[in-house]
Amino acid sequence: MKPRDPSDENASGDAYDEVIDRVFAVTVAVEPEVERGRAHAHALYQELLLHPAARQNLLVSNSARFRSRMLCELLIQGSHEAGFNDPAQAAGLARLAITMAESLTAESCGGREALNGLRAKAWAQLGNAHHPAADRAFAETKERCEQGEIGLLDLARVLDLEASLRRDQRRFGEASLLLDQVIRIYQRLGQWHLLGRAFKQKSMACGEAGDVEGEMALLRRALDLLDPNEEPRTFLAARHNLITALHQSGRPREAFSLLFHTRPLYLKMGDRMSLLRMRWLEGLVAQGLGRVEQALTAYREVRKAFIELGLDYDAALASLDLAGLLVEQARTADVRRLAEEMLIVFSSRDIHREAMAALHFFCHAAQVEKVETALVQNVSDFLKRVRTNPALRFAASV
Amino acid sequence: MSALDNPQVDISLEEFLRNVRPRLKTLFVRYGIPPQDTEDILQQALLALVYQRHVVRDPESWLMGTLRNKCLLYWREHRRKLYEVVDAAVLELMADPIPPAQETTDLRRDLAIALEHLPERCRSLLSLRYQGFEPTEVAARLGYSQASISKVTNRCLAALTHRLLTSRLPRRKPH
Repeated sequence: MKPRDPSDENASGDAYDEVIDRVFAVTVAVEPEVERGRAHAHALYQELLLHPAARQNLLVSNSARFRSRMLCELLIQGSHEAGFNDPAQAAGLARLAITMAESLTAESCGGREALNGLRAKAWAQLGNAHHPAADRAFAETKERCEQGEIGLLDLARVLDLEASLRRDQRRFGEASLLLDQVIRIYQRLGQWHLLGRAFKQKSMACGEAGDVEGEMALLRRALDLLDPNEEPRTFLAARHNLITALHQSGRPREAFSLLFHTRPLYLKMGDRMSLLRMRWLEGLVAQGLGRVEQALTAYREVRKAFIELGLDYDAALASLDLAGLLVEQARTADVRRLAEEMLIVFSSRDIHREAMAALHFFCHAAQVEKVETALVQNVSDFLKRVRTNPALRFAASV
Repeated sequence: MSALDNPQVDISLEEFLRNVRPRLKTLFVRYGIPPQDTEDILQQALLALVYQRHVVRDPESWLMGTLRNKCLLYWREHRRKLYEVVDAAVLELMADPIPPAQETTDLRRDLAIALEHLPERCRSLLSLRYQGFEPTEVAARLGYSQASISKVTNRCLAALTHRLLTSRLPRRKPH
């Protein structure tokens, strides 16, 4: 049925007053209860984390005390945050969230819609945290979504998580379609900051698919919408990606200008990683502008710092940027020396087998002086991909 | 622009509700939701807001977007129920073993006319359905996947219902 003409609204609008009064009264009465539940859930979450994994499972499965919508939300959020540093913990927390969500009832959750959303998010989080379980997890998620209503915000979150997985799997078309749905939902709900985040997510899918122009267009839209006060890191990341994309698309002057205006944000962030990423970007931009020595200095500094910090992938990627520039300058002896250093450093580290195979391939080519820019780029691209998808296999033909 | 556009401006729930009240009424009127059915829709949305208030940045936009969606779902559900009623009535009519009375004959004729006006694929699908074939058999015969047959059937039922409602069927015999 189409919406009515609003011209008659005044005539019948008063009929809703009684209902609205009743609903408002219930809502206001419920709010403090929800806030108390939220505070209690935070305490329970901290308590749960103190136990070993097996005991956590036992508590969530058997103790009614550890069974609430809020606690389940915190487990999902905790799993998401752990995903950046500790994938095993992320998967463990997602599994706990699933166990809890499956044992909750619609009444205890505040309705069927909330329960469906919680279950779908818990499964989607597992799919995102533990790639081998992803297909099953997202099949379950889909089933949960189809089983009944699910809130739009929860649905967007679920689609966003699936898009992130598809991007990691390099299924960029699917990721883009999912993100289009996310974008439509945030537009409908007027959640502009979240919309900005969705545009940023989509820009990453575009960039990884090789569409740098599309990536830049989406990043500009994202930057218009993202609130730097709300999530300064996300805003900075979007700027960082745009500068990188400008460099990649051969617009070093624009990249330089934007970097100049973004430098205060990096400095304001102040942590070592942000400052290193800025320095790395300075190297890239300097390379684009043909300032070879400036670029070499920046790459060397960044590489050294990443090695000291034990950030092997970043160290390897910075080394490859340095190698790429040396190759461009036909400084084959320097490339060979760099490759020898890389072998010594990375052989002693616990680096993923396929990533190591790629580095060996590069180092061997350097030793026999057969390195070309394309080879450096391909090895670098592979390292970026294998970082998020350890199931990838390195093919020496790259 | 909403007073809650800026999350730093933390107004109380009561004040927020007071502010959105006129927009809520306008929305329900606009979507033609009967007042007695408004309670569930509004209560669900507001409870969800209270639970998610820490994630929602612009509560007013969120609430209005959510309610618009719920209003659309409300009417979609009503339409689905209507299609089900029509479907059940037609199935019963076709399955009736007793020789048809005049009224039943009229209904069958109306149905046949309505079916004739449907697109070919709906005609085939509903004919098979009303001959007693199961959805899986209909899917197999017409080349639809098992996953999509219920969606296609619903669309065809929607078309049939629309046709019946806008054709001669609503006529009443004078008492």
